[in-house]
Amino acid sequence: MPVIELSISRLQKLVGKKANKKQILDSLPFLGLDIESLEGNTVRVEYSPNRPDYSTDFGIALGLQGILGISKGILRLDIKKQGNYEIKVDSSTSKIRPFVTGIIARNGLLDNESVKQLINMQEDLHFGLGRKRKKSSIGIHDLDNISFPLKYTTTSREHRFVPLNSTKESSISEILRDSEVGRDYGSILGQSAKVPLITDIKGQTISFPPIINAALTTVTTKTKNLLVEVTGIDKQSAEDMLSVVVTILQGAGFQFSQLKVSGSKNSTPNFAPRSIVFDADPVNKILGLNISGSMLVSCLKKSRLDAVMKGKKIQCTIPRYRFDIFGGMDIVEEVALGYGINNLKPAWPASVHIGEKNMTSEKLDSISRLMTGFGFMETLNSTLTSNQTLYEMTNRNASQIISVTSSKSQEHTILRDSILPGLLENLSKNIHETYPQKFFESGTVFSTGSPIKETASLACVTASEETHFSEMKAILQSLLRIGFNIKCETKTLSKHALFSQGRVAEIIINGKIVGHIGELDSKVLENFRIRTRVVGFEIKLSGLIFD
Amino acid sequence: MSHVLHDIEKQIIQVLQSDPNLTEEKISQETKLSMDQIRRGVEWLRQKKLADVSESINISLSLGKNGLEALKNGLPERRLVTLIQDGPKTFDEIRSSLHGLDFNAAIAHAKKNHWISIEKTDTGSKISLKDSDADVPNDSDLIISKLGEGTIIPAEFDNTPLAEPLKSLMERPDFIITHEEKTKTVSLSETGKKIDLGKLDSGAIDVEADVPHVHAARIHPLKDTINEIRDTFVHLGFTEITGDLSQSSFWNFDALFTPQDHPARELQDTFYLQGLNAKQLATPTQIKNVSSAHKKGWRYYWDIQEAKKMVLRTHTTCVTIKHLADKKPDEARIFSLGRVFRNEKVSYKHLVEFNQVEGVVVGKHITLRDLMGIQKEFYRKIGLTKVKFWPTFFPYTEPSLQSMVYNEKLGKWIELFGMGIFRPEVTKPLGITKPVLAWGGGIERIAMLKFGLDDVREFYNNNLSWLRTASKCQ
Repeated sequence: MPVIELSISRLQKLVGKKANKKQILDSLPFLGLDIESLEGNTVRVEYSPNRPDYSTDFGIALGLQGILGISKGILRLDIKKQGNYEIKVDSSTSKIRPFVTGIIARNGLLDNESVKQLINMQEDLHFGLGRKRKKSSIGIHDLDNISFPLKYTTTSREHRFVPLNSTKESSISEILRDSEVGRDYGSILGQSAKVPLITDIKGQTISFPPIINAALTTVTTKTKNLLVEVTGIDKQSAEDMLSVVVTILQGAGFQFSQLKVSGSKNSTPNFAPRSIVFDADPVNKILGLNISGSMLVSCLKKSRLDAVMKGKKIQCTIPRYRFDIFGGMDIVEEVALGYGINNLKPAWPASVHIGEKNMTSEKLDSISRLMTGFGFMETLNSTLTSNQTLYEMTNRNASQIISVTSSKSQEHTILRDSILPGLLENLSKNIHETYPQKFFESGTVFSTGSPIKETASLACVTASEETHFSEMKAILQSLLRIGFNIKCETKTLSKHALFSQGRVAEIIINGKIVGHIGELDSKVLENFRIRTRVVGFEIKLSGLIFD
Repeated sequence: MSHVLHDIEKQIIQVLQSDPNLTEEKISQETKLSMDQIRRGVEWLRQKKLADVSESINISLSLGKNGLEALKNGLPERRLVTLIQDGPKTFDEIRSSLHGLDFNAAIAHAKKNHWISIEKTDTGSKISLKDSDADVPNDSDLIISKLGEGTIIPAEFDNTPLAEPLKSLMERPDFIITHEEKTKTVSLSETGKKIDLGKLDSGAIDVEADVPHVHAARIHPLKDTINEIRDTFVHLGFTEITGDLSQSSFWNFDALFTPQDHPARELQDTFYLQGLNAKQLATPTQIKNVSSAHKKGWRYYWDIQEAKKMVLRTHTTCVTIKHLADKKPDEARIFSLGRVFRNEKVSYKHLVEFNQVEGVVVGKHITLRDLMGIQKEFYRKIGLTKVKFWPTFFPYTEPSLQSMVYNEKLGKWIELFGMGIFRPEVTKPLGITKPVLAWGGGIERIAMLKFGLDDVREFYNNNLSWLRTASKCQ
């Protein structure tokens, strides 16, 4: 989950004088904000990816005001229709990135910390809601260098302008090839010859979405007036994204003027809140509470929503930026948060249930008990292991491997088809410990088959100077007889990669081959740097003692 | 104070009472006991403060490879002198006659002894005899022949004329080998000396003595915790369900309302199985309903091919949801436990493969407070008594809470299991009509608390000494 660093004194200023530092710190977890670390005036909190408004302290302050009762209900956005700000959309964008929306924000002040918070929010929105800028992305610009009306159109890859953080002109192809953002996000545009562009009436390039803004409109701490534009492939998610930015900027003291959007299925954004009507009863029932309608309304207001009672029903008003609220169950959570999770007392359900272990678990348990009784230590290995352990060191045939794509660890790339190699690795790691060493492991092994087959196996090894084949056969026989009343035979096998020739056998039960037993081959042992004699077996349990 | 002594100890005391300072070897010879028995006996006596042991190092010398050669044929410089007895010879003539020997060393030492002189002529340098007494054996020859008779103790030569030549020979390569031998000289302490062996009760053994550790073969410590958790769930009335470790993306993600373009599904967190697609995904109705829930909720093109991709399950929830979708129980308590996978870098707190448990309660009248109560009882049963709850976020539950437990040893609150009510966007498309309350989390975290580990990798290192000695700290 993402993490944001907050200044407590700044947060306190935003929340309001009535809240002290301790109240703020105590309340953060009850908004779902986990405190990661606290040092002096700096607190780092983890926030949920479904609440991008919590990627800034302005958004967190809104939440804290509610839960602390300082300011309740929804934050009304005040968007003036004055001014003549307009963007016209050219139909050529419909094939590559069809939607644009935006807002004019004026008379605000952005200090260093606020700029930092805005950038943090922008990155967060790009990653989650924007699906790494693919679905939607934001550009924030200095309004005072722009002449309206704007045009959202497309251009060729030869188009040149000075991109953000640069002083010289580059072509779009150069930007995509040479800059980090170009390389990271260029694939969103595919092979399209035409790419999106925002220009102003003077023909100046404002932005090349979703890659980079022009240097012309760079935002600094001296910037007072902003243009925020969001482009995307989904109109609703572009407007959702914009609504978060507007809410946060209102918290930062900006005033808004509408940006008129028109052309090619685009329209001026609508920030009106929506309403959900629901029954009070089920909310109480699912939470295990019995609170009055007016109390429910109060809880919702503490969660910065609006609500009124309408008979037995409650009408809840949800601000545009709370698009994480899908329906009734989300309202239940808002009630719970407003009520205070710490006020919810654990209860004990009256119903009677009889629990049961899965049969496979039971049988594996009894195998573990028997094997430890025989003096074998249980080990646990990853089922996702490596080519080296499974095949190279054991000289086994690697033609049927099942591997994962793009593993971050070389030791975990292939699903095991056998447990024995892992046990040999365990012996190899313990050569400095006292002998005899006896290990066993039971668990899942994988094989190919429509598309993949999982079965449970058991393997065990004994390593010591004196051990021999019959010792291992005795263990195998006793295990199956005592544990499951099964008789097994061992039948000479001429060759097996893991075992010595002349000292290996197939394990046969009811005429079916279920595994192998033998003395481990000296070359295999050498590969694992094991210097004692080792005997072992591996047997398939699925189909034998459970399905 | 009466002493209880082992027979070995008694025999050692007996020989030491007549001969106060003996090496372990000597005691072994006297008592006819093996060196191993003597070593053990001496160690017991030392621990009981009945005997003192002093260690000394004895150095002895013997001939090395070149020394043995010199014993047979003379030192290289001596052989050089023999060669030029009959008149001067050139370097080349000598080099070929001294084959295999260190020619340079022979010249250097003969020169140092003032036996030879070297003269430069037109045909090359020539070596001639300078000292007519050069063939008389000197101290170096004497040392070689003494060493030929057997090892010598260098300390015996201190302050004799042989000390200097011996030192010089020892510096020459492979002439003399130095042996270091540790000897333990044992003597009785004052108490030991006073022991009257005749008066000891011969039938008694030392019941207070330390004994060696024995190792039990045992269930793996992590497995032990897994078993405890499984048992606890069963005690709380939950029935275990199981499922495959490899799953289709449909059950791992889509059925849980995780959009296909969601960053969590990308390669960075999930292990996709190379080239493997599920053959049978789900029932046509299940597929249709899940597909339309995604289209409605997330507004994108839902691709069935994406849902067919096989993954290693990232949670046990895929097993739970499939069970619920297939059985549609009106009331149930079930749990699922097993390995899950995350494609992350391995570190002291992250593994690519670990164990997770998840319990689910289905019922018409079940409440969030009930789930909190069940969880609190679960923690109480495994020995965690201080529990609190915080809100959190999970993609497929709403509301979502996380539980924190207080760890006395660390003196802080630790985040353990998460919980929540399955979103209607998850349950409705699959035809699950009753509320589903779920809770669970990683098991290794709990096992780490139980076994006092701060590195989760220890569980899978299978280090035998740890497996043999690991013990629960609560």
